[in-house]
Amino acid sequence: MIEFKHVTKRYPESGEALSEVSFRVERGELTFLTGHSGAGKSTLLRLIPAIEKPSRGEIMLDGVAVQNLRTRQIPFLRRKLGLIFQDYRLLNDRTVFDNVALPLLITGHNPHEVGRRVRAALDKVGLLKKEKRLPLALSGGEQQRVGIARAIVHKPPLILADEPTGNLDPDLAEEIMRMFRDFNDVGVTVLIASHDLALVRRFSRRTLRLEHGKLSEVG
Amino acid sequence: MAFLRKPAFRRGIFRQPLQPETHLADRLKIYLALQKNSLKASFARIWETPIASSLTILVVAIALALPASFNGLIQNARQPVEALETTSQISLFLKPELSNEAALKLAKKLKQNPALIDASLISKEDGLRELAAYSGFGDALAALNNNPLPAVILVKPRTTDADSVSRLLIELKTLAEADKVQFDSEWLQKLQALLAIAQRCVTAFSLLLGFGVLFTVGNTIRLELQSRRDEIAVAQLLGATHRFIRRPFIHSGFWYAFLGAGLAWGLANLLILGVRTPANQLAELYGSPYRLSFLRLTDTGILFGSAIFLGIIGAWIVVAYFLREIDAE
Ligand SMILES: Nc1ncnc2c1ncn2[C@@H]1O[C@H](COP(=O)(O)OP(=O)(O)OP(=O)(O)O)[C@@H](O)[C@H]1O
Ligand SMILES: [Mg+2]
Repeated sequence: MIEFKHVTKRYPESGEALSEVSFRVERGELTFLTGHSGAGKSTLLRLIPAIEKPSRGEIMLDGVAVQNLRTRQIPFLRRKLGLIFQDYRLLNDRTVFDNVALPLLITGHNPHEVGRRVRAALDKVGLLKKEKRLPLALSGGEQQRVGIARAIVHKPPLILADEPTGNLDPDLAEEIMRMFRDFNDVGVTVLIASHDLALVRRFSRRTLRLEHGKLSEVG
Repeated sequence: MAFLRKPAFRRGIFRQPLQPETHLADRLKIYLALQKNSLKASFARIWETPIASSLTILVVAIALALPASFNGLIQNARQPVEALETTSQISLFLKPELSNEAALKLAKKLKQNPALIDASLISKEDGLRELAAYSGFGDALAALNNNPLPAVILVKPRTTDADSVSRLLIELKTLAEADKVQFDSEWLQKLQALLAIAQRCVTAFSLLLGFGVLFTVGNTIRLELQSRRDEIAVAQLLGATHRFIRRPFIHSGFWYAFLGAGLAWGLANLLILGVRTPANQLAELYGSPYRLSFLRLTDTGILFGSAIFLGIIGAWIVVAYFLREIDAE
């Protein structure tokens, strides 16, 4: 499903964030990505939906060479992904409901179905009662869960989650992780960046480890 | 059309349809529902910022009202002028020594001329009789021992544009029997020429102010784009196409132009209302049944049509420029 071949990402301001990273994630796998702060986890995840381009190397996503996509094609790639951002990226002047509905509007879903699907997604993250709130009237963890609901509302075949439990208490974090595992059980490929090593270990799945931009351990 | 679009990829996970609805009719329904929702949302946004929005709408309205009302007035002036046109005639004064038979013969000959609708002779005697009857100088005229009036042939030209009339005048003047030729409505032609100039001015004016509409709407949309930059960035992260991002702004452009045109329509008619009373009085003085009218249906259509066109084009250009800038980053 995902294949990195000797991928290097260099920022002019801060040097190499990723050096010669190579790995594969098979279809239907749930994989963790760990590493210290600044190791390059977010950078790696940003390369897959073509938010940034690699300086060198090749990224294949289900047979599509991501770095070669035209600007015009990129939206259609992103619609197939469920992206969870470390900084949530919510629209603060829109209600929770509208935030979660956005991917459905973008893909042109039947408007009569939008309400049902948004509520189903909000129910999964336990925010059904807060659909009319604005994001800034929610706690950090609640905002994070709005971001998760938005990423799953259109049932993407691949979920890329950047610290999806960073702001959640241990119980809630565990619950969200179990939710990702449930998705994985029905065939969704999941890649989760997290530095909560204890949590990662408890789920005992394949784990990629980044260290100063190098993939130091695959196991 | 967006709903006809095929997905851009045909392999792997990308091969699945983007939406479960595959029937064209369903997709059309969804497409129309999306357009309707977006139109409503754009209107709501304009409604939520009443001061900024009404400023834009007012500027658009003024830029549209000026040419619309001038054009309306010119159209109004045209009607009575065109009505007068059909009554225009040429008076061909014949040489005094010409006999009545010769005059009659010439009148008959002119009647055959395809460039003329009619040619009727008023003989010296007819002229004197008419003058006596209408002027009230009957007794004085009867005292004259010879008739001072020339015979006249009244000629009605078939076409009354400046070129053909002047050609006809020359033709008539060169006749051996002719003494003097007089076109009774030369002033009318001058008026027509003036109206044509005014019409040209209004057209040039309209083009200039049309650019004003384009820039006003464009600038408003540009500000709106700036303030929604984050939102656009998030939408792009989630897979929004340029078309999706463009849509609400195109609809904003539509609303500004539509509301501006509506206000302009009201302003133009108000202006016409202002000159209506004196204009109608003037028409009455001339014994004309003609009354000043408000913007006609076609002119109203042109006003709204061109405004909406300009609004949408203005929005389109600004959004296209903005998106190109973003993509370059
Ligand atoms: N947009 C950017 N411009 C310049 N340098 C960047 C940019 N984004 C990341 N970096 C640099 O790349 C390196 C990796 O950053 P990245 O955000 O991928 O780390 P991370 O593993 O996600 O860390 P964290 O756990 O704190 O989120 C850092 O040294 C950072 O300074
Ligand atoms: Mg990070």
